[in-house]
Parts: sequence; C-alpha cells; structure tokens
Amino acid sequence: MNKALRLITVLLVCAMSIGLAACTSGTQKEKAGQSFTVGISQLIQHAALDAATAGFKDALTEELGDLVYFDFQNAQGDPNTCASIANGFVASKVDLIMANATPALQAAAAATADIPVLGTSITEYGVALDIADFDGLVGGNVSGTSDLAPLDRQAEIVHLLFPDVKTVGLLYCSGEANSLYQVRTVQGYLEGYGYRCLNFPFTDSNDLAAVTTSAVSQVDVIYVPTDNTVASNTGIVDHICRPARVPVVAGEQGICAGCGVVALSIDYYDLGYATGKMACDILTGKADIRQMPIQYAPNFKHLYNPEICEELGIQVPSNYEAIAD
Amino acid sequence: MLLNFKNLLDQLPGALVQGMIWGVLAIGVSITYKILDVADLTVDGSFCTGGAVFVVLLTRGSNLWLAMAGALLAGMLAGLVTGLFHVSFHISALLAGILTQLALWAVNLIIMGKPNLALSVRNYDLLVSLRYLQDVVKGDRPFYASPLVVLALFIAAVIGLLYWFFGTELGMAIRATGSNIQMAKAQGINTRLTKVLGLMLSNGLVALSGAILTQYQGFADINMGRGAIIIGLAAVIIGEALFSRIFRNFALRLTSAVIGSAIYFSVIQTILWMRLDANYLKLLTALLVAVFLAIPHWRESLRALPFKRNGA
Repeated sequence: MNKALRLITVLLVCAMSIGLAACTSGTQKEKAGQSFTVGISQLIQHAALDAATAGFKDALTEELGDLVYFDFQNAQGDPNTCASIANGFVASKVDLIMANATPALQAAAAATADIPVLGTSITEYGVALDIADFDGLVGGNVSGTSDLAPLDRQAEIVHLLFPDVKTVGLLYCSGEANSLYQVRTVQGYLEGYGYRCLNFPFTDSNDLAAVTTSAVSQVDVIYVPTDNTVASNTGIVDHICRPARVPVVAGEQGICAGCGVVALSIDYYDLGYATGKMACDILTGKADIRQMPIQYAPNFKHLYNPEICEELGIQVPSNYEAIAD
Repeated sequence: MLLNFKNLLDQLPGALVQGMIWGVLAIGVSITYKILDVADLTVDGSFCTGGAVFVVLLTRGSNLWLAMAGALLAGMLAGLVTGLFHVSFHISALLAGILTQLALWAVNLIIMGKPNLALSVRNYDLLVSLRYLQDVVKGDRPFYASPLVVLALFIAAVIGLLYWFFGTELGMAIRATGSNIQMAKAQGINTRLTKVLGLMLSNGLVALSGAILTQYQGFADINMGRGAIIIGLAAVIIGEALFSRIFRNFALRLTSAVIGSAIYFSVIQTILWMRLDANYLKLLTALLVAVFLAIPHWRESLRALPFKRNGA
C-alpha cells in the first residue's frame, strides 16, 4: 500500500514538473491594446485544406497585423480529436474559431453557443449541422464558406469534351460525406445529358487500386469529386487510368494535376481568404455573425493537365488554363 | 509559443469528460482483454455502430434512452457475430474481430446512409454535450447536470451492474473461462457460450460509449472508430499499471480502466495545449503507452535494488 502511494506521488511530481517546465518557457500573453486569439481546427493535413488555412491567416494578418494571434491545431484525420481541440479553444476563451472540414465544424458548433465559429471547406452546411430547410443562413454563432463547386457545370464539361461516350464512372471514397453529396448531385446532371452512371465507391487507399481497375474496365470516362482520399493518392488512379486510356474529369485542381485531364476548380486559398475577411468583420465588430449567410467560392478556374491530355489526344477549349508542374 | 497554465486547467474538465466517455469503452475492452484474455478488434467497428444507431434512432423520433438501448443491442449483435465466427467457424479470436470490423464498415454506412451524420445539440435534449460543460461554468446549468456528474453516475451504475453480473454463476463462468479454459471445461462450463457472451457484453458497452460520444461531439462519423481499440487498450494498460496493486476488488479494477482513459485524454489535451507540431501527436501517444507498459517492470527492478530491502 505504502509503495503504491509512493509511486503515485513520484508520478504526480513528475507530471507537475513537466507542467511547470512547460510553463516557465512562456509568459502570460500581453494584453496591450485590442488583440485577438483565433483558434484554427483543421481535420487533416492536405493540400486543399492547408491552402484554405493559409488564405484565412493571410487575410486576417493583412488587416489586423500583429493584433491577431493564431492557435493552429490539426486533428491528424481523427474526427474524435476535433472534440478535444474544440474543448481546448472554448475553455481558453479564444475570440473566434475557424473550423476547416466537416467534423471540425460539428465539434466546434457543439462546443459553444457564444464564440463565433466560421467553417471552411464545408460542402453543405445544412447537412453538416443538421438544419432542416437550410436557406443559406445558419444563424446563431456559426457561418463560413462552402467549397461546393458548381456541379451542373462539372457535368456540362463532361458533356462538352466527351459528347459521344455512353458510360461515366463516379469514383469516390465511401467514408467521405462531401464526396457522396457531390456524386449524388452530379449523377443527376450527368443522367440529364443521357449518360449511364456507375458508382465506384472505395473504402480507403488500400482498395483504391482494385476499385479503379474495375472501373476502367466498365466505363468510358471517370469523374472524381473533391475527394480527400483520391487527392492524396492520385498516383494510383493515374497509373491505372492512363494505360487504359480512360480520361478522368476532376472536381478540383490537385486531383486534376495528379491524374485528371480537366477540372473546373475552386481555389481553396481564395476560399480561406474569403473566410478570413469574414473573421475580420466579426472581430472588429463590423458585422454580426448571426446575419452573415454562407459564402461560396468567388471564382472558378477551368484547368487542364497538358501531359495527360496530349497523351490521350484530348483537345480542350482555348479558355482552359494549363496546370503548371 | 506562449503557454498559459490556467488555460490547461480550464481545459481539463473537458478532457476528463472525454476520458469518462471512452472509459465505458475501456470497461468493455477490459472484459475481453483482461477477463476473457482475448484481443477483440471488433471494437473499431462496433464503436461507430453504436453512434450510428443512436443518431438514426434519435433523429427518427425515438426517446433518448431507447436510442441508447438500441445502440447497446446493436453492439451486442456485432459481438455475437465475432463470437460465432470464433466458436462456430473456428477462426482465431483476433481474426474473427478483424473480419467483423471489416464487415461493420459497410453495415455502418448502410445504417447512416452516408459517412457522417450530424446531431445538433440545438435540436435535441442530450445526455451530455461539449456545450453543457461551459453552460455549467456560466451558471446556465445546475452543477448536477454537468457532464462530469452525469457520466460519473452513469459509469457507477454500469460498474455496479457488471459487479453484480460477474458475481452470478454465469458471470463467474465467463471469468473462469478467461482464467483457465481447461479447468473451466473440466468444471462443466460451456466455454463456447461464455466466450460469445463475453464478446457480446464487451461490444455492447463499446457501442454504448460510441452513442455517448456522438452526443458529446455532435456527430457520428464512419471514421470515429478507427483506432478505438488502441485507445481502449491504452486506457486498460494505464489503469492497470497505476492501480493494480491498490485496486484488488473487481469493481475497482473496472474503475481503473476508466481512470486510465481519463489520464489518456488529459495527456492528449496537454499535448494539444503545448502546441507541439500536430505531427507529433500520435508519436507522443505511443510513447506514453510504452512508458505505462514499462512501469510494472521498472517497479520490479526498483524493488530488486539492495538498498530497498533495508528500508522495509
């Protein structure tokens, strides 16, 4: 009994000394003038999400300079860690929370009804926050920007470049809510053009190759939405689709650069920048978050991958921009 | 950069709540890992199943407690499948768990209809929510409705029930199966039945934990169970390393898993608070568990030192 108590004492002392050591390395934040702490909760490291965070920070720093301090946290792809991060932000009373990707927003919205929460890279706020009859205004302490690309125009691009093919395969990760939403929507538009659509959901990067191989044997063109898993594994898709001469139409620039022929892409940096502007208006009291509707990407870029287009012999209209390596 | 110690103190109640929620899972894991002596990987799937069933039932108008019961039953069903794979198909328990876990990915998608289901605290009165913690601090909620109190009572009830159950003849038979399966068979215990029951009970608790976490964080996600078994095992191991000598009683041993879980999440919160590069989060977690695994052995070698003998 005594030994056990002694052990616990030793452990506690260790824990406290670590805490104290950490403490002495920093001092109380200086409250000179009006300064702001902004908590950023990002689901996972990923080119698109990183770009949105960078744009957000740049917009705020441009306006507020040194007055704004960022507490950046990344959940490493574990949705449960988003709750730990949200808890930390709310307990330390940050002035604003920026939530990058759906679970980050859901946890932040669950954690506070007072601190303003801005989402970004969210596809559909009504679905993400369980709001019936969503009309573009979340209300309360939540607003933000949506990364929804115009899916009708995505379908139009497929029709423009491949008017004579019959079957379009929709390749996406079954674990991503954003992808499923886009696939379901774009399928309606594609079928409107008379295409037959086949769904090819995969579980994770482990079965992506098998599912892609099955897809190229059954379809003429593949469409990939803004899918995080494909975005991280474009090499796999490219190595299967190019030899099979099946072109990939991508929902986003990164996927198009890796394995696509064309994309109508939003710019995640611009989206994050727009979110940063909203944050500025909220922090400086210029706008009330309760009355701020969700904003969409300011502009879209028509992009093409010159290397793959040349190899597959695909001609793109002159208003398409080549993706630089 | 700048660390504020008071901030960490403010953040710890939230970490404790999360630890207690995962503590229910840890109790489930300790039933398989410690009592049945089986490493059951069904957990990664059944955790999400619990959350999924709960959200679907609640949003379709079910009562909160009925939805929790539904989650419990769904988890027990998952445990039943693993148990049947194990005893009827003669698949090793480890592989049986992996197979069920794989199958549950599809099942969970079917239950939810999509990979992520929101559960907004604005629309429902929930048992616990991230938000309730701040509401108590601000005085909008009485302290007895704080998630800390609610969960402490809930866990006490769960442990009380388990304490009673493992004292019955059937419960004793499950414990005997894990301690010495040959002896248990010799005593006329149907060890196939007891194994299946143990797996069902364990996964029922795991699913219940998933249902509570879903309420707390405001969503069920297809990826929420990924690595759940690692957290569960870590909690059990931390609890055992610290309390195995003090807590001899069966109920207290289950409690030590909950405390282990609370320590685990406090450490995670501390790592986040220290604002280390997020890339190190998993590395530090692994190191933490390794240290706790080593503690019993270090303790032994400390005791073996000559100067210790004189002291006693």
